[in-house]
Amino acid sequence: MNQAADEVLEQVLKLASAESVVAGLYGNKSATTRLADNVITQNIQCDRTGLHVECAYGQRHGGASTEDFSPEALRATVQRAEAIAKVSPPDPEYMPPVEAAETSKYARVQAYYKSTENLGPLAKAEQLAAAAKNVQARNLRLSGAYSNWASCRVVANSAGLRARHASTDADLHATVLGPAGSGWAEMISNDTAAIPVADVAGKALDIAVQAQNPQPLEAGKYDVVLSPAAAGELLLFTFWCGFEAKATDEERTYLRGRLGQKVFGEAITVRSDPADSRCPGEPFQNDGMASATLPWVERGVVKNLCYTRYWAKKQGKEATGWPANLLMDGGKASAGEMIASIERGLLITRFWYIRHVDPMVPLLTGMTRDGLFLIEKGKVTRPVQHMRFNENMVDVLNRVEMLGPVARTGEYPMLVPALKVRNFNFTSTTKF
Amino acid sequence: MMNLCLYAVDVAREKGATYADCRAVRFRNQRLATEDHRVASVSDAESAGIGVRVMADGAWGFAASSNLGREQAAETAANAVEVAHASALARNPAGIRWADESPHSDVFRTPVKQDPFKVPLEQKIELLLAISKAVLAVPGVKKCLGGMLFKTEHRWLANSEGSRIESWTCTSNADYEATAVDANTAKTRCYEAYPLNAGYEHIENTPLLAEARRVGEEAVAKLKGRPCPVGKKDLVLHPSHLALTMHESIGHATELDRVLGMEESLAGSSFATIDLLGKLRYGSPLMNIVCDNTLPFGLASRGYDDDGVPGQRWHVIRDGILVDYQSGREVCPAIGARRSRGSCRADSWASIPIVRQSNIGLAPGTKPLSPEDLIAGTDDGIYIEGMGSFSIDQKRQNFQFGGDCFWEIKKGKKGGMLKDVTYQAITTDFWGSLDAVCDGRFWTPYGVMNCGKGDPMQIAQMTHGSAPARFRQINVGGAKR
Repeated sequence: MNQAADEVLEQVLKLASAESVVAGLYGNKSATTRLADNVITQNIQCDRTGLHVECAYGQRHGGASTEDFSPEALRATVQRAEAIAKVSPPDPEYMPPVEAAETSKYARVQAYYKSTENLGPLAKAEQLAAAAKNVQARNLRLSGAYSNWASCRVVANSAGLRARHASTDADLHATVLGPAGSGWAEMISNDTAAIPVADVAGKALDIAVQAQNPQPLEAGKYDVVLSPAAAGELLLFTFWCGFEAKATDEERTYLRGRLGQKVFGEAITVRSDPADSRCPGEPFQNDGMASATLPWVERGVVKNLCYTRYWAKKQGKEATGWPANLLMDGGKASAGEMIASIERGLLITRFWYIRHVDPMVPLLTGMTRDGLFLIEKGKVTRPVQHMRFNENMVDVLNRVEMLGPVARTGEYPMLVPALKVRNFNFTSTTKF
Repeated sequence: MMNLCLYAVDVAREKGATYADCRAVRFRNQRLATEDHRVASVSDAESAGIGVRVMADGAWGFAASSNLGREQAAETAANAVEVAHASALARNPAGIRWADESPHSDVFRTPVKQDPFKVPLEQKIELLLAISKAVLAVPGVKKCLGGMLFKTEHRWLANSEGSRIESWTCTSNADYEATAVDANTAKTRCYEAYPLNAGYEHIENTPLLAEARRVGEEAVAKLKGRPCPVGKKDLVLHPSHLALTMHESIGHATELDRVLGMEESLAGSSFATIDLLGKLRYGSPLMNIVCDNTLPFGLASRGYDDDGVPGQRWHVIRDGILVDYQSGREVCPAIGARRSRGSCRADSWASIPIVRQSNIGLAPGTKPLSPEDLIAGTDDGIYIEGMGSFSIDQKRQNFQFGGDCFWEIKKGKKGGMLKDVTYQAITTDFWGSLDAVCDGRFWTPYGVMNCGKGDPMQIAQMTHGSAPARFRQINVGGAKR
């Protein structure tokens, strides 16, 4: 879509009579093959292209979108954006389009793999059918989804900026179920060639076999080993409710007054780097501003917050935009070493339905899912029924005692290690 | 558009589909967002495309495209068939069971008195900024965020069985939140013209501006509220709160695809398994849960679902017993039903239809009972309004919910404000403790705009109505223990 995208964006810029224009175009080809009970239940392909236009007269601005690329639709979309801008009151926080020179700050990101774009439904179905056969042979049931995407994003504005980024991504997650218990595993990569379907399903199968017939365990405080998936979800919820600079400066987040202070434990370092080949991020934001490479937390100290261009200017800071990815530093401890260090605790496959209870703490709640195991005297001894936690995440990130190697996890691009955390607070149990 | 759908269905059939349907959908969304005294953003988005769903080789295929050209429609239909052939590599040996449905030719339209897209933008902005001004005039309030959303969905659905269905739905929603800040923390209080399938008249009929000062004052009062007690309390739940409790603990648990394990990979399953149908005591005999996709103003009221089945009204729980599920044509045969309950919807032309919650709610009590009576009959309890923190396990048993605003009830009287209240229960224990429901005068529908389900995730809308209800001796305060 490269040439066609450029033509559309140039046409949009010509159609606009507004003083400032930013046009963003995305193209996305996606496909998901989904299983339940060892059979393919859903299998979809989608080809989608869209355009968003932001127009401004002075500080008055408005936006409009379309997925229709006919000349009439493009003209109508620009006119809708301009009509909104004309009647909107001046916005004191409006920022003019990003200058063309910004592109020199973009990180060099390699996130496109032809193998991912070309992976068709037949090849995926063959791999998944083979995995399902293996699981079925153990009298267990495989569910899951294998998705691949190819995307292209292009931004052009009236200040002369032209930005383009192509990427691919793929996500396989597998749940294996037995009569009383389940296991789960995931693999995320920009390159489907790096996704071993049989291995991912096999890992979920191994956990499921061990997870059968869990017994109740009283809620309370336990030392835990969190998988990267479990730790990643906690990190994401902790980040989003704290690191927005404007809300923090207005004393509406738990990090108020704590920029530059040691808030988390010494073991915690989190940064962003869109060029990290293990977990690449978008090199630029929706308005064309470069995505930042910087530390958010360094050895427990909050080093940066997310500054929009307006808020950065007002506060005399560098604009950062939103993180292109979240990369947490890991350690060298293996899961076995973490387990061996625990007298009585829990091994957690993943969490489910995490929500903020009080974002100003931040207090989170959520459930364990797909395999919860008791650790006794340094060994995993038996599966137990799932439990609900309620935890203060600042406290949790001060109770991290061991870190494992990082792994990519979750929909948001993240690298997160397995963690051993002391005294994790479980408050109730469920029935399975 | 209908002709394009018919063409795509024909192509799919020619390519070997034994069943095919095509939806063409055109969306329009207008969103406004204000922050304090400024308009942060206004956008007007259009989206249109087709989705073709086929059965071939006893397996499913689906393809979608935002290109509405005739050639692209044919290619999309052919792709869907090709995808189905791939699916056949791991198909169900028993094949797809697909409940019969007569062909329908019909048009459905949301009754709208005032088209929200024809209301001048200036008028909407003026209202939102007036609300901000009133909220921020309350000492202690530091932030006011406001928003409006207007959405239309024009859908054309044709299938190879002869159905030709056109629908046009319109949703209107406005909300705002006041945040008060003190030396220790920040607290937010929300107010909403809850989303309804209606026009701008819904916004005008809701006292958004008139309530602004109270909302601001309650945000400040939340800062000074007493902490949530720990222990067992009676709960009196307002419909604005109960909507989400029902959504999570009943709505999702009675989706038949979840019950059958089809959502295991993401949203999860359900404890309310089909062997328990007709036997499971879900709650007290006062508990009557009614699904109604003919509900006026309901967000799931759209004439027909995406399987081409008309909207219906039915009980899933009668007198506290599980008696039915929410279903689509693919899953209803599993419980011996000859006809789907018409609850299969896609959130976009780009998505495949899946079982979604209908407009599902708690039927009002049959004896006269007002909210004042309910509180007067409560010795030691908590009254909860609005939605807050919510989390539930993947089989919909252990849940923990918060709310937006909380008041103590002592000796039959509503007292001072509490803060950070959470309650936790097992679903059937909670509904088993239901001991009073106010009568139909107090039954109110509340819409949910952001129900996530499916893989890839789809975001659907539905309405949950109830009258205020009371639940005895529920565990509260466990979150901060």
